[in-house]
Amino acid sequence: MSDLDKAIAQLRACRPIPEIQVRELCYKARELLIEEGNVVSVDAPVTICGDIHGQFHDLMELFRVGGDVPDTNYLFMGDFVDRGFYSLESFLLLLCLKVRYPDRITLIRGNHESRQITTVYGFYDECLRKYGSANVWRYCCDVFDYLALGALVMGAGHDLAPIDAPFADPSQSNTDADDVEIELLNSQGQILSRFPRNRGGTQDTSQLSNTPSSPSQTKEQTPSRNGAPGTGATSTSGGSANNSGGAVLCVHGGLSPLIDSIDKIRLLDRKQEVPHEGAMCDLLWSDPDEIDGWGLSPRGAGFLFGADIVDCFNRKNDLSLICRAHQLVMEGFKEMFSSTIVTVWSAPNYCYRCGNVAAILELSEDGANAGYAPRSNGDMNRSNGVQSEKEDKRPGPGRRYRVFDAAPQDSRGMPAKKPVADYFL
Amino acid sequence: MSTIPHLNTLRSGRRGPRLRGRRGPPHAGSEDAGRFDEEDVEIGKDRIIQQTDQDASSSRMSAVSLGYLDDPFAKTLFPAGEQVPKRYPIINRGTYVRTKAIDKLVIRFLETNPNEQKQIISLGAGSDTRFFRLCAGKYKVRYHELDFESNVVPKRAAIRASEELSRMTLPSDNGSTYHLHAIDLRDLTNKSPPVLPGMSTEIPTLILSECCLCYLPPDTASSVIQYFTMNIPGSIAMILYEPIRPFDSFGKTMVSNLGSRGIELRTLKRYYSLDAQRQRLRLSGFKEGQGARDVYQLWESDEWTSKDERERIEKLEWLDEIEEWKLLASHYCVAWGWRGEPFEQAWKEVEGGRTPDEQRDDEVG
Repeated sequence: MSDLDKAIAQLRACRPIPEIQVRELCYKARELLIEEGNVVSVDAPVTICGDIHGQFHDLMELFRVGGDVPDTNYLFMGDFVDRGFYSLESFLLLLCLKVRYPDRITLIRGNHESRQITTVYGFYDECLRKYGSANVWRYCCDVFDYLALGALVMGAGHDLAPIDAPFADPSQSNTDADDVEIELLNSQGQILSRFPRNRGGTQDTSQLSNTPSSPSQTKEQTPSRNGAPGTGATSTSGGSANNSGGAVLCVHGGLSPLIDSIDKIRLLDRKQEVPHEGAMCDLLWSDPDEIDGWGLSPRGAGFLFGADIVDCFNRKNDLSLICRAHQLVMEGFKEMFSSTIVTVWSAPNYCYRCGNVAAILELSEDGANAGYAPRSNGDMNRSNGVQSEKEDKRPGPGRRYRVFDAAPQDSRGMPAKKPVADYFL
Repeated sequence: MSTIPHLNTLRSGRRGPRLRGRRGPPHAGSEDAGRFDEEDVEIGKDRIIQQTDQDASSSRMSAVSLGYLDDPFAKTLFPAGEQVPKRYPIINRGTYVRTKAIDKLVIRFLETNPNEQKQIISLGAGSDTRFFRLCAGKYKVRYHELDFESNVVPKRAAIRASEELSRMTLPSDNGSTYHLHAIDLRDLTNKSPPVLPGMSTEIPTLILSECCLCYLPPDTASSVIQYFTMNIPGSIAMILYEPIRPFDSFGKTMVSNLGSRGIELRTLKRYYSLDAQRQRLRLSGFKEGQGARDVYQLWESDEWTSKDERERIEKLEWLDEIEEWKLLASHYCVAWGWRGEPFEQAWKEVEGGRTPDEQRDDEVG
């Protein structure tokens, strides 16, 4: 058993590894990450995960539900640290897995992978508490600076790869398995529901979430794609024929008014602390919202962006979907703007307080293309700027969401530190 | 959600009726070290509730030290030598909104007919500084603070140790007085309840309960309110600050988490929504008007939190947890109700009526 495998075993048991080993790990990880572009290319099949926030036991539950590394190909969209009690163990385990199986796991940067934010939201204090010095925090922050800013998933299939799974409710078992666009599974691997491709109807897939129970969930209408994109962009694309699922852009937060093409992301100098403003900051901080164009973010960094912005960006870059994390959604995932963007959230009962479920998103490999599809990036199929007619079928890839609760209580030890003033007393 | 680590299960177990005042023989199984005498459990629970003031005091100190609130007295009443605690930004913001909203209602009351003698009775006041911040030397107020002896003793000591606070608590020429009562509020529900020294039954009186009555059984909480509404026949009003919405998933988790710390929010299910709180105040005798707003509404509304203030607060700390802030803040409310003048004049224009959003509360309730 190599030292790395030993470290993985130790971290899987939620025990920190010695400082000297952390240093070595971080050094190796940096060497690996420095070779990655700002936007990593990832081939489907892949399982896309949102925020983890140091909820180690829930990360273990995620691996149980989604399959272990390296059997499953994972893409984590950042925010590994802060808030939970085990940021250190969670991040180091993911980093070990990255070094051990570099082609089977992709890590991109979240807004919490930052020196400034981790001093406010807990990771710094946790390192200090567990090692007695800030060295480990420094090593980790150095790794943060090298994490990619986004990932582009290629070759995701229009159709979901069939799985041999029973229905949670046996009376539904005769549901048509053909032409499924969205499949929803519980943590036992049972199918909760299936949604076929929308045949000219106006099925609102956001409705497949449960009735919202929190005020953050009040906006659930997904306006249909109409009206011209509010920018002067003339390059649109109906998607190329040999890319049936379309490319999927994964980024922690969202879009930036300074970025109108994926190539512009590639040109950024990312090897730095997350700046307070600018394109790199926006990618990690922005949120989609039911507005037109761009708006100010209540977070104090990044922007809000509307359906028109997403539509325009996706057309220009030949994307079928933007996948992002960053926002707590009570049902684990939330599709917006006619399923052109989805939020995936993977920290169940966030902060041990919010009572939400978590989700991961599986994209299948496109059978026809054996997992590889060239990306046209707006250069092919140029049209004259007129939007194509609304298509009867959604262009997006088949999406399988697995929804899970917080890890059972007996799987976790006592928290390292009792939470204080969680509420107003 | 039963997935929360239970840190204090021994104290949070099912409890029978309170045995206070009916001290019986020891529990039959009391030799068994694993079992708690119910009386011990009750005493332990009281202690936990008394300690919630330390939480409130810490949160106040955190908010003051970061510039959310201007409160020179928080430090004087904060235990000497203890480190200034650091709270998450959402807790600081919540502490700010709650303090300012209650202050606004209190100030409107004091500013209406400012020369008239008034009375404020603060239930479970703990280390609260409102008297020193708003009243002392400014208004003609009889100010009463009621709390457990264990919370009153350190406050009294801190006041005595400070020349400034001692001076402020002396009776002044204009008729202002300050009274600190060591009392178990449940004693006010006895058949022959104690008389509160210095309490007038003839001047307009405002009752404050900031996270206090919610720890009592609902009927006891009602009886405490009744003690005041019966004894003071004239103008009287009440301001409540309490958790609400226990039935959605955040609410359920909140109940379970606090339960694991031994904190039981006993009135929460009965007064589960803004409308239930308005109703409660109306039925408690504050017939002339009632209002209620959750903390998120108080933050978002220009009437309650001015745009300038919101911008100032937003700049104090990076608050990344927008969704969580909405969740947390919408699970606490300020509710108020009144009868008679000067309350009618002071509060009738204050925004607090039912909003369309509240429809959802009726559905889950």
